[in-house]
Amino acid sequence: MADQANFERDAMQYAQQLYSAALRMTRNPADAEDVVQETYLKAFRAYDTFKEGTNLKAWLYRILTNTYINRYRKQQRRPAEVELGELQDLYLFKRLGEASGAERSTEESVLESMVDTDIKAALESLPERFRMPVLLADVEGFSYKEIAEILDVPIGTVMSRLHRGRKALQKKLWSLAEQRGLTGPSQ
Amino acid sequence: MKAECDHAVEYLYQYIDEELTWSRRLRVRWHLRRCGPCVDAFDFEARLKERMKECGRDEPPQELFDRIRALIEQEAAGGQEN
Repeated sequence: MADQANFERDAMQYAQQLYSAALRMTRNPADAEDVVQETYLKAFRAYDTFKEGTNLKAWLYRILTNTYINRYRKQQRRPAEVELGELQDLYLFKRLGEASGAERSTEESVLESMVDTDIKAALESLPERFRMPVLLADVEGFSYKEIAEILDVPIGTVMSRLHRGRKALQKKLWSLAEQRGLTGPSQ
Repeated sequence: MKAECDHAVEYLYQYIDEELTWSRRLRVRWHLRRCGPCVDAFDFEARLKERMKECGRDEPPQELFDRIRALIEQEAAGGQEN
């Protein structure tokens, strides 16, 4: 039987991060809570198999990801995921540069004026297999190797999905910035 | 210069993610010292990554922590009975 005190001491510190990640996955607070709860229960049951000194955070994220996939992928009635199509490198930077004309430093100021909810919405708009690597790399700061282990895919797949996911994210951010009227030359 | 810009942009994400080998990193960094437009693009992408991290945190309700602790408590107690 896993030691309850040790488990709580070591694993509970990640609850907030796991919840945030679950929220980006499920896009729904009640479902996110369910996934995190189930993750902790599974982790506690399997804690004996966790190797001391290895990466506990990555181990928990792997359980979280699998829990989410098992629970929700089955019930998804969305059509098969579409490909993202080819997108230009530096998509957002270039669009913002064109929109602001000769003015410099406008690109970064648009980033500052974007509201958090738009950035979250852009991330949540990505198809799952692109959303997960972007979430794990950008929000959670995992390395490519850790993401490969968490998602159980080769590292090259992580890199290409991350690359394409980020470009698609930028496209979404661009359209949200346009809607908010952030993209014109500054007054 | 154009080819060097293309090379830098190709490795942009790996550079920002600190996943490049030492020699490739050095080559990109060497280019960035001489290319203003690429510096702007790299700064922008790095800042976007920071923004993603900044707004990525949501506070769970306190009850979630309590429920998880209760579940583990229950599981630990059940396990000992068996």
